[in-house]
Amino acid sequence: MGYALDFGTPVNTALLVYILYSVQKIVFPSASTPTTIPNEFKHGYSWLPKAHPPTVIFKAYTPKTLEPFSGKNGGRILLAINGIVFDVTAGRNFYGPDGMYGNFAGRDASRGMAKQSFDIEMLTAIDQPLDKLDDLRPDEIENMKGWIDHFSNKYIICGKLVENDAV
Amino acid sequence: MAVSDYLVTDDLTVLLGFIGVTVFLLQNLYKPQPLVHPILLGRQSDAGRVRHPGESTVYRNYGTGLLGRFPVRPDKDVNVVNDFLKPEFDAPRTLWSTKITNAQLKTSISAFGSGIARLVSEESTVLILLNDCIEFLISDLALSEQSIASITLNSPKLLTGVLEMHRPDAIITDATFLPHVLELIYDAREHHHKIIVVGESDSNLKPKGMKEVEIYSWNEVESTGKVPQAPKNTPQSDSPYTVSFFESPSGERRGVQLTHENFTSGVTAIKSLFPVASSLSTLDTIVSAHSLSTPYGRAIAYTALFEGASFATLPSTTVFHVKDAPTLDVTDVLSAINRIPSPTVLFLKPEHVQSLTSAVISRAKKSFFLYPLAWRHKFAGLREGFLSKDSLWDRTVFDGAREAVLGKMADTLKAVVISGGPLPFDSLAPARIALSVPLINIHTHGSAAGPLFATHASDMQMLPSSSATPEPAHVGAPSINVEAKLVGVDDDVVEKGADPIGEILVRGPPVGSMLSAEGESGEKNAWVQTGEKGRVMTNGAFKVLGFM
Repeated sequence: MGYALDFGTPVNTALLVYILYSVQKIVFPSASTPTTIPNEFKHGYSWLPKAHPPTVIFKAYTPKTLEPFSGKNGGRILLAINGIVFDVTAGRNFYGPDGMYGNFAGRDASRGMAKQSFDIEMLTAIDQPLDKLDDLRPDEIENMKGWIDHFSNKYIICGKLVENDAV
Repeated sequence: MAVSDYLVTDDLTVLLGFIGVTVFLLQNLYKPQPLVHPILLGRQSDAGRVRHPGESTVYRNYGTGLLGRFPVRPDKDVNVVNDFLKPEFDAPRTLWSTKITNAQLKTSISAFGSGIARLVSEESTVLILLNDCIEFLISDLALSEQSIASITLNSPKLLTGVLEMHRPDAIITDATFLPHVLELIYDAREHHHKIIVVGESDSNLKPKGMKEVEIYSWNEVESTGKVPQAPKNTPQSDSPYTVSFFESPSGERRGVQLTHENFTSGVTAIKSLFPVASSLSTLDTIVSAHSLSTPYGRAIAYTALFEGASFATLPSTTVFHVKDAPTLDVTDVLSAINRIPSPTVLFLKPEHVQSLTSAVISRAKKSFFLYPLAWRHKFAGLREGFLSKDSLWDRTVFDGAREAVLGKMADTLKAVVISGGPLPFDSLAPARIALSVPLINIHTHGSAAGPLFATHASDMQMLPSSSATPEPAHVGAPSINVEAKLVGVDDDVVEKGADPIGEILVRGPPVGSMLSAEGESGEKNAWVQTGEKGRVMTNGAFKVLGFM
């Protein structure tokens, strides 16, 4: 009679064991706090994302340090308007090396934004002092400020532009 | 025997197979559903993309967003604090132990306002040294209507310094504290105060040499104002009308100047703490453990006024007492409910919650057999983010315990907001199970009229801290109209991806403008240093780790 308890066949035994185990889990659920915190919400209710959202540090750029960020080799694209440096990497189509406004990448684009022109003459050479924008008309200054608003909403302000010897 | 002999099946197999499938489905599909989807809890604040060196980035509530405007008023018509009393609402509600309608309250306020306008000029300041009572609210609203500046303190130790620096023209205090006030004025040698006393006082209490001190009774002032005198200037929403002094952890006195807009923003933030399904309404009764002498405590009272809810404070909120303060425990919570309808929302301190939890759990443990099972099941539900007051385990074990501890309140309680100190992480899960209502852990500061940080109402994540020292429970994301950042952050550590840790700075509509040590107000909308160390987790929730 020793085998009477196995309910006749191994299949039945296996099923019975499974049923008893599951019922035990249902009636006596685990009561311990989770020890490891998963990084995906699918793996648990108490989860934490793996990393913080990325941030860039606000830096002071000079014309010389700004120039490398013209998007070449797939790098970041920065441009400056009125002393504010914007990260326009998201607009690679416009400001990348092949873009329509690629001249502005890595440079001070204030004069070009004010005069609505993308010519090379609008840019000041890197080793020269910053363009003081004294000779701009009021409506050109307004235009430049409009561009600053547009850029502030669309791109990230990530620095300020200072003279070459200021850093 | 061949393999096929082992795999022989019979009717019992079919039965067991059927039971097995049922059990499997039960186990996998009958999992309790979380009250808020965990994906939302992974991004609680909206973080800026840029940060200054040595600082963290700026965080705002995810619902508000970095480009969103901060909500500053609960309703478009509420511009100043007196607008909280809606004229069209005329049902009576109980404030402390007085049943009163909005119209009666407004009459009282304009009467007291006219009365006090006859005593002091408009550019004067009035110091309110009252414990929480309806006279405090009436005085406060009357002074704001008359555009007379008021001063409140959250600790009697600040009194000497404030009397010296600000020389209020009138002091409103209550009869038990009057002798102490008179003593201090005598020491300060400035005797030309007018003192308005609430309650019955001994009429020959004026000591010698203080002829210039005039003592009036509160009821007297109110009755002289029965013919109301319209205030000369209507208050504007951004005009400061009150100054609150509080003690910083290092013991120095800090003052904050608050405008009407600070309080309307604070009330908006307090209303937003609750989920839409259980938002505040006239059927609620709010009980608060925070003194009206603090901006946050006052904002809770204003919220109750605005919603037409009944309101009372606990005895432990007394600031100006001559005996020892009562301890923060269950009896404190229960003693507030004598004359008001059964409380529905409690604004408590962590000590109250811990005391309530241990009382309920020790009472529940009396059912020897069911309690361990009930605990396990509720805990398993909590792990999945589910909590309900109506489950089987509540009906059998916990309802009885709650009723024994809380009385009538056990049935009507629908939410508890915890602030006023660090809540230990280990006490959060037992508290949720014991009370089975949404527990909202928030962080407030003496400089803000609303919560600075608040957790989501249905957030039940258990996130033990990874650091060696035990950290308190997290306080959630910045409140809907506050932005926060950390300064003094180690850049190398943050660039490697660790959590930023530094001093918390806040800014926003409910945060007042701090006064310097000499009493000068600073620039508007400046970042306020809270003096507390905090850390931001990857999901945007903040943890307040203590004082700097």
